[in-house]
Amino acid sequence: MTTEPPSPGISISKTAEPSTLDVSVGPQHPGSGHCRILIRVDGDYIVSADPDIGYVHRGCEKIAEYRNYVSNIPHLERPNIADAIHLNWGYVLPIEELQGVVVPPRGKYISTIAAEMNRIMSHLYGLAIMQGVFSGHTTIFMWAFGDRDLFIELAEMLTGARLTYSFLVPGGPRRDLPFGFEDRLSRLLDYFEKRLVEYDRIFFSNPSVIARAKGIGVLKREDAKKLGVVGPVLRASGVKYDVRKVEPYGAYADLEFDIPTFEEGDSYSRYLIRFEEMKQSVRIIRQALEKIPKGPIARKAPLVAPEGEATGRVESSRGEITYLVMGDNSDKPSRVKIMNGSFRNLIALPFLVRNVHVADMPIIYGSLDYWPVEADR
Amino acid sequence: MSQDTLQDFAGVWIGKMSELVQTIIGSGPIKYIVNWSRMYALWPVHITTACCSAEFGAMMGPRLDPERFGMQAVAGGLRQCDLLIVEGTVTKKMAKRLKIVYEQMPKPRYVIAMGDCACSGGLFHDSYSIVNDVHKLFPIDVYVPGCPPRPEALLSAIVKLREKIRRQEVFA
Repeated sequence: MTTEPPSPGISISKTAEPSTLDVSVGPQHPGSGHCRILIRVDGDYIVSADPDIGYVHRGCEKIAEYRNYVSNIPHLERPNIADAIHLNWGYVLPIEELQGVVVPPRGKYISTIAAEMNRIMSHLYGLAIMQGVFSGHTTIFMWAFGDRDLFIELAEMLTGARLTYSFLVPGGPRRDLPFGFEDRLSRLLDYFEKRLVEYDRIFFSNPSVIARAKGIGVLKREDAKKLGVVGPVLRASGVKYDVRKVEPYGAYADLEFDIPTFEEGDSYSRYLIRFEEMKQSVRIIRQALEKIPKGPIARKAPLVAPEGEATGRVESSRGEITYLVMGDNSDKPSRVKIMNGSFRNLIALPFLVRNVHVADMPIIYGSLDYWPVEADR
Repeated sequence: MSQDTLQDFAGVWIGKMSELVQTIIGSGPIKYIVNWSRMYALWPVHITTACCSAEFGAMMGPRLDPERFGMQAVAGGLRQCDLLIVEGTVTKKMAKRLKIVYEQMPKPRYVIAMGDCACSGGLFHDSYSIVNDVHKLFPIDVYVPGCPPRPEALLSAIVKLREKIRRQEVFA
């Protein structure tokens, strides 16, 4: 009898019931990796699914307890480097609240511009890999990644790094807008709006994409509320909830934007909601560039935070991120707790992939825009 | 002649012949042809261990286009692959799977350690769930430091690896 090592790829084993099979998908699979999904199939239909997470658990919350407030910023934005500004901002907000530091208006506007640029980059990444590659559409992968690099160039001009910016510290952003930045950004937005029309033509109005994604993985409004999903997944099910409107932070209170919602709650509407959000982000950046006031960008914040606890909520591109920071009169936090969108949206996966074809699972998984590193922390 | 001695004789004869074949292949122009074909067929395994995968995706994108070096975009099965890119932090849970993936790859196989975490632990070096010494799992050919490395840095690591393959012995 040969003993073959358990494959980290796709492996199949028999179950007690004769008509079903257990299939282990991951952590090495053609998709995104670092998450294993154990599915039980009956023929071509999925009976049940059980996500096995924790392959990238790096103990961010524990590390945060033995580094000081500013040294925590780099490693707390690593969990989601496609969306680094939002993770950074969520951590900085409660510290500012504890210390009683108020960021000047110009600093808030710069943070908002950076955050919305990051939202576009993150949605383009999701469009390219989670939605494009998973539905077998290689063209949109190339297009979206090419356009994402243009935004990355501007982010590099503003912050000095491609993906991991560490741009916001308690007190405000680290740098002012560089010379010529506004001009380049508004020209890029002009170009990007033209590209959005082309994305619509090649991907969202594509009959093959509609046939694969429409009506697949329907999450009803009531179920979405009960499961506690957040962000685009919640809004695609018809719940109009966005932290930027409910509890405005940064410069969002001064800016006009809509919250796109869809009633269907299927994979296709989850695709579309990110497309609509990119349009809103373009609108927000345009307004912020017009309205940005003059003045200082940051205040000097102390390195020590007083005793007490504070929470910060931001709307990241994968949903709401909540940070709880507890201070104890020292330069290190005594506890940092992170709740993020990816983890809360993954809860919906076992319910969505029940009684669907195996080939529909990548579509549903991609429509959740799940980022395993963020969920595992 | 008994069965055993015949087998011994055949074994010695085959051994001598295969030595001869190896010398011919390993010294002459055939070596360059074999190495040249290996250089242009580096297929990476897509096992993402952590967040460096975002820059791996950017390297695979339209701007740098590694397909000109013969890298298939993303090959599905690891049985067809000969390049393992360790994309970032290796946790204790993932290290076992990574080792299995490496063992299942056909020879010759090459490994690139991408990012500070895969090189030496990096930013998370003092965490309780991290493997700092990835080089103890398997030999690593090229290290790419950076957190995360730029896509250009990863591409230059691939160019360095190709240079290494060009000069290697066929039967090592």
